[in-house]
Amino acid sequence: MSEHKALAPKSSDDPAFMLPASLAALRLPLCVGGFVLMLLGWWLASGIGDYGNNFGMSVYLTAAVYCMTIVLGCLFFVLIQHLVRAGWSIVVRRIAELAMVMVIPMGILFIPVLTSLWMGEGTLYRWDNPEYAVEHGLPGDVWEEKLRWLNESWFTVRTIGYFAVWTSLALFFFKNSVRQDQTGDKAITDKMQYWSGPAVMLFSLTTTFAAFDWVMSLAPMWFSTMFGVYLFAGSILGAHCLLAVASYVLQKQGAMRDEVTVEHYHDLGKLIFGFVFFWTYISFSQYLLIWYGNIPEETEWFYVRQIGNWGTVALLLIFFHWMLPFAGTMSRHVRRKPGLVCAWGAYLLIMHYVDVYFMIMPTVEEGTAGGVMGVLASILCVVGMVALLSGLCLGLARQNKVVAVRDPRLGESIAFENI
Amino acid sequence: MFRVRSDQETTDVGQTFYNCELMSENNEKKVHGVVAEYTSVDTLLSACRRVRDAGYEKTDAFTPFPVHGIDKALGIKPTVLPWIVLGAGLTGTATALVMQIWMNSIDYPYIISGKPFLSLPAFMPVAFELTVLFASFGAFFGMWALNGLPKFSNPVFTDPRFDRVTDDRFFLYIDSKDDQFDRGGVEKLLGDTDTDYVQTVVDDDSSDKVPKPFFMMWGLVVGLSVIPLLVVLKMRVSHSSQPRFHVFYDMDFSPAKDAQQYSTLFRDGRAMRPDVPGTVARGEEQADLNYMTGIDMEALTAIDRPRAERLVRRFNPYFQGETESAAENETEGAGKTSTEIEPEKKPVTVGDGDSDKSEADEVPDATAEPSVVEPTPWLDSNPLVLNEKVLADGRKNFGIYCSVCHGMNGSGNGLVNVRAQKIISPDWIQPSSLHQETLYANKYPDGKLFSTISNGIRKMPGYAGQIKTRDRWAIVAYVRALQLSQNASIEQFKNLDDSERAKILKEQIEAKKALKDKADAAAKAAKEKAQADEKAVLEEADAQEADAREADVQEADVQEADTAKAST
Repeated sequence: MSEHKALAPKSSDDPAFMLPASLAALRLPLCVGGFVLMLLGWWLASGIGDYGNNFGMSVYLTAAVYCMTIVLGCLFFVLIQHLVRAGWSIVVRRIAELAMVMVIPMGILFIPVLTSLWMGEGTLYRWDNPEYAVEHGLPGDVWEEKLRWLNESWFTVRTIGYFAVWTSLALFFFKNSVRQDQTGDKAITDKMQYWSGPAVMLFSLTTTFAAFDWVMSLAPMWFSTMFGVYLFAGSILGAHCLLAVASYVLQKQGAMRDEVTVEHYHDLGKLIFGFVFFWTYISFSQYLLIWYGNIPEETEWFYVRQIGNWGTVALLLIFFHWMLPFAGTMSRHVRRKPGLVCAWGAYLLIMHYVDVYFMIMPTVEEGTAGGVMGVLASILCVVGMVALLSGLCLGLARQNKVVAVRDPRLGESIAFENI
Repeated sequence: MFRVRSDQETTDVGQTFYNCELMSENNEKKVHGVVAEYTSVDTLLSACRRVRDAGYEKTDAFTPFPVHGIDKALGIKPTVLPWIVLGAGLTGTATALVMQIWMNSIDYPYIISGKPFLSLPAFMPVAFELTVLFASFGAFFGMWALNGLPKFSNPVFTDPRFDRVTDDRFFLYIDSKDDQFDRGGVEKLLGDTDTDYVQTVVDDDSSDKVPKPFFMMWGLVVGLSVIPLLVVLKMRVSHSSQPRFHVFYDMDFSPAKDAQQYSTLFRDGRAMRPDVPGTVARGEEQADLNYMTGIDMEALTAIDRPRAERLVRRFNPYFQGETESAAENETEGAGKTSTEIEPEKKPVTVGDGDSDKSEADEVPDATAEPSVVEPTPWLDSNPLVLNEKVLADGRKNFGIYCSVCHGMNGSGNGLVNVRAQKIISPDWIQPSSLHQETLYANKYPDGKLFSTISNGIRKMPGYAGQIKTRDRWAIVAYVRALQLSQNASIEQFKNLDDSERAKILKEQIEAKKALKDKADAAAKAAKEKAQADEKAVLEEADAQEADAREADVQEADVQEADTAKAST
């Protein structure tokens, strides 16, 4: 029922579903190079500042949270496709499935964060510093109550808990999807759909609390019930951007050329456009409520982000994380050009890093970006970590297909049309 | 092409033309286009492509459900609707921003929640909503406009077979307005496609008269909808003595209490709540006890410590309870400034009996002989910096609060007194003339006068609750000026030139002469009437009194003029 005849799905062992050799060859250089770059950036950052390794750990946390949000966004993408029984997305779903398994290496990459919590007193999370309440003149009883939630043991238990939940979810959906590649069993799709509802609930709870713990608690006395959604907004945006970029790169390298069509880029473009505004809506709502209430304990977070260079970063986010991509991805003509969708996706992935940077870095003790060296170290660290994860992801992709080849709705997805 | 007005041919309403056999008769009617029926999407799409490739542009396809790719197959150009929506959305944003900036920042600047008049974050939610609203309107009405809606009928509906387009048939339509349209050629082209049925679409020959009930309903709705408008218009231009009509009661009858009303909410039954202990009135932040009481508190502490402490408790809002031992340690309180005096007892709440007592205590014993040694160390001078403004304020407040009894000139003969004399009020006490020597500054210090104004004396109530402290001091200053006006000699006016001096002297002499003449005339008249009966005598006395009052007023005018000059 369309202008161009949709192709019937190819057989499941077609080379179009395999990871192209050119990309597969990159996996080891990416892993090694990424790991080295990451350590280099981290090491450079550690030398900055007078507060022990505070700056270095903040840089590392920024990179980790950035990667974490994209990985979690991919996990959510998979969950939501099953939850709504989406047909269009089958051809790109496997990319998200491969990326969400990276939650396991992320768990390992989070060990330094926990280590710094246990080894250094308040190196990264200042609530861990026994002197914090006294230094900041906080009322003792309030601080006692805070510490019931923010303490080393309970924080560690929670972090392990989050990773346990996410790993279970990621492995469940990944393994079932891969098994379907072999069997083509439709019951597997039903099973994944059945579990996607509870999974989404678990996901939203864990993500919200992880955002509270890992990022919000950097300013221990500050709170925003919206913060989890704020982080999630960037996360789901990043996931769609990653899908657009990865699909484009894979197609350029020869995989799934007939499967992912302009219609899928159009849909990804629409979702990117929508989530750009969702991010704006959430972050502005958070700002508006705090700005309007004007209560010192709430304005603290934005106050440090409005003075000096951080104010410039805030403005940059308004113009380049919202206005520019909002206007740029508004037109259908842009969204129906895969190259442009990929370009906007890559651009927004960079802006998402700026957003995460803006969340975390102003809380370092000096409140500065550490000069050119600090910025360079931050970039090295995050590029290294992204490269490392990409390498691992390519390794995983090499052992599997890059499309869910025997999904019962693959034909529907290939034939999908917007107009 | 020929055109026949369809309304001339509507006599055979019941007759329909749908058979090919009747086609020839349709030749007289206006031809709108040609339609062909298809049974599947694929045949429709291939026909669409043929029609498109043949160069027809004014075409349309009708399907029971959305068919992807039909735009392309039919060569339909992309719609301009997105641009309309974008324009409408931007208009919404601009409207919201301009509206809010104009309303809240320019036309009616109003501080809301302490934000600047022009604060963009606060305007964003409305801007967002209006953007969405206008964009939605743009999409909805733009779609209507682009489709030529509302369209109550379409010529294709004349064919009953077309009804199946909502069910299981697909139709392709070529409009006669197309540049290439040629009826025979189009019918041939469509006939070559995979179709069994090609039909020429002609004018609908059913009546195009709008049914009468429609007009009646329309008229009724319009008529009814005008009524509220008329009522509103009438209300706008007319006056009424009736109470207003309350559609919603909510804020018209506020349950809030008025001043002095009773309330069952509180144990003391007062609706108005007394100040919380320690409340500092605006403008009284720098409470200086000397200033508040008119007493030199340091001196008072030395001679009457308990009274000084009561005053401290009453006036110092910052007062906090101290332990007795602390008070005992502070035995040298006399040497301290008034605000540092330590109390012996726990604090009293404002407005309770104890403080009332201390207030009563403050009222000087006015019935006592002036010769009795005054125990209170009153302030000798006015703490205000005296200038024209202070005197003007004093004069204004004197006119408002004091003159009703004491008279505008302070002679003690205000309107209330006049009235009391007239009705011979049994419990009226004559207000003091402020021009008695006992009330002059050397006998009755400024502080004492201030205290009297504040706390009252005899029948006179205290005015502390009505007149601000500063204005009470201003009244004191004005009273001194009034007193001076009665004793001023022309020599005290240093800056008068000779003509002015001479004028005043002349006026003085004339006024005195006039007074004397009046008094003489009255005395003479009294003598003449001495033989008249009792009643007549009494009446005459009344008249005399009235005259004397007039004279007083005249005198007062002169005095006021003097006072004003003296104060400059």
